[in-house]
Amino acid sequence: MSAVVAVPRPGAAVAETWRLSGWARRVLRMLVTTATVFLITSFGTYALGALSKTNPAAAVLGETATPADITRMNHQFGLDRPLLVQYATWLGHAFTGDLGTSYFTSIPVAASVRQALPVDLGITGLAALFAVLIGGTAGIAAALNGGGRLDRSVTAVCSALSTIPGFVIGIVLIVVFSATLRILPAGGYVSFGTDPVQWFRCLLMPSFALSLTLAAHIARQLRTSLVATLRENYVVGATVRGLSQRRVLLRHALRNAMGPALGILTVGVPALLSGSVPTERIFNLPGVALLTLQSAERHDIPVIQGTLLVTVTTVLVCNLVLGALLARFTPQARR
Amino acid sequence: MRTLRRALRLPSARLSAVVLVVVAVAAVFGHWLAPLDPLAQDSAHVLSGPSAGHLLGTDGLGRDVLSRLVAGTSSSIVATLEAVGTALLVGIVLGIGSLWLGRGYEWASLRFVDSLQTLPYVVFVVAVVGVLGNGLTQAMLAIGLLYSPIFFRVSRAASLALLRAQYVEAAELFGATRLWILRTHLWSKILPTIAVTAAQASAECLLAVQSLSFLGIGVQPPAPTWGGMLADDLGFLAQQPWAPLIPAITIMITVGALNAIADAISDSADLLVVDASPPQPGSAQEVSDAAVAVR
Repeated sequence: MSAVVAVPRPGAAVAETWRLSGWARRVLRMLVTTATVFLITSFGTYALGALSKTNPAAAVLGETATPADITRMNHQFGLDRPLLVQYATWLGHAFTGDLGTSYFTSIPVAASVRQALPVDLGITGLAALFAVLIGGTAGIAAALNGGGRLDRSVTAVCSALSTIPGFVIGIVLIVVFSATLRILPAGGYVSFGTDPVQWFRCLLMPSFALSLTLAAHIARQLRTSLVATLRENYVVGATVRGLSQRRVLLRHALRNAMGPALGILTVGVPALLSGSVPTERIFNLPGVALLTLQSAERHDIPVIQGTLLVTVTTVLVCNLVLGALLARFTPQARR
Repeated sequence: MRTLRRALRLPSARLSAVVLVVVAVAAVFGHWLAPLDPLAQDSAHVLSGPSAGHLLGTDGLGRDVLSRLVAGTSSSIVATLEAVGTALLVGIVLGIGSLWLGRGYEWASLRFVDSLQTLPYVVFVVAVVGVLGNGLTQAMLAIGLLYSPIFFRVSRAASLALLRAQYVEAAELFGATRLWILRTHLWSKILPTIAVTAAQASAECLLAVQSLSFLGIGVQPPAPTWGGMLADDLGFLAQQPWAPLIPAITIMITVGALNAIADAISDSADLLVVDASPPQPGSAQEVSDAAVAVR
């Protein structure tokens, strides 16, 4: 335990004149960092396209194109201007909802993304929910069981899960529930608006398969921090004061142990989106991940840039929301 | 070395070491060890179960599964080594540099690493391969770049703790150069920590490589890869539902062995305890600086 020394914090005076609470200041700082990170990643995304060896004009016009045609097409795409100017134009258009047009299908990228995004939000949202529910339950059960048979089997299952690529679980689920029992569809997608029940049936297996790796991480982290917290003096003290076990767990131990486990979710969002590529391929779900994969096979650069930008933005928004919530509700972060 | 010898006294570490040696032998000599040609199609035995001629059966094109498994080892291992090597180099150079090259560089490198950690690796690698063309080197450099933040944070945090030690201060007062301090004091202390991180990262990279080869990225079919075998088996689930288990179990055993080695080293070494998980947005510096403690 370190001694607490009252040292005036740098920037305290500024905060007083602004009258911002600690939480608001943290969120403000997060916003600044997030904006910086967004600029770096979006520039990286755009510059990646410029690194390409294939000339889009030549690719679109085919083999019969003359150099003059290619120059004209380059000018039309704006590819003859400096990289930073092209980037600024592209980003400016992106903010107005214009991500350019596919080189091959002439469909606006934004339209394809708008159609595909609900699929990803569906599976990753459900997967995050499953991960928190399964991981949370398993972690609490293991910690309360401390060293018992349940604790050891949770630990063993978590270790085993961290050695399997998530999509293998998807394959196993298809074998069991679609090929053998025939109770769930092996693939395809129905939008929520059309038929909510069928929507859930379509997304149940992919999101469950996607959630398990993250659930294992959450369970392991929650178990570790909860075991440590349950030994703390204030928890023992609360038990001695005669509070019920349930109250001690929920009001005292869990609130303090939750922080690190929820912190894993910030790493979990990119991991879920990453896992959604093979998952969407296996279950044939028409999401953004599958769109990226298909346009990568065609070297369709505007679509690749657009989907990558949308993916990064999704991660940043999720992390910002999670960070703000964590800073608000976990006692450690409030200091 | 002493740490490694102490780690190998644990039975779990010995078992994992044996597994990894077998995998390494298969990776180097796989093409000679494979009992049959991994690409040869035996049309008389398509989707056959295990038999004397085909010990693990054949796939949907009549190719020998055992041969493909053995011959596919090298691409998985080479890919993982390329990725982890890139991550080590980029991460450690940027990480140690962030302590010595001034505030401006420190800020820029921290934001750069934050940016890398927001990128979902499969999506990013798919995008890179889509732009630059499909190939093992591009794909692995991209993965390595995305895994470099782990090494950046570990080497930075570990060095940060050591640079505050009195003997380093004393050496500086005596006029030691930074490179001398790095060589004499820093390197041997942070090496076990980096070894553990490298073993963990190899396990994760191996999994990432399987996801990518499943999607046909890096190594293209028909060349045998473990992930590619899973993709091939997917088309024949109705006839041979157990077939994906063979590559899946191979992957699990290899990744499990890497994880167990990492645990064994970290149990038997006096590690600098470092929290390498990415910090909450907005508090990057505080967390990575505060999460360091010398045991």
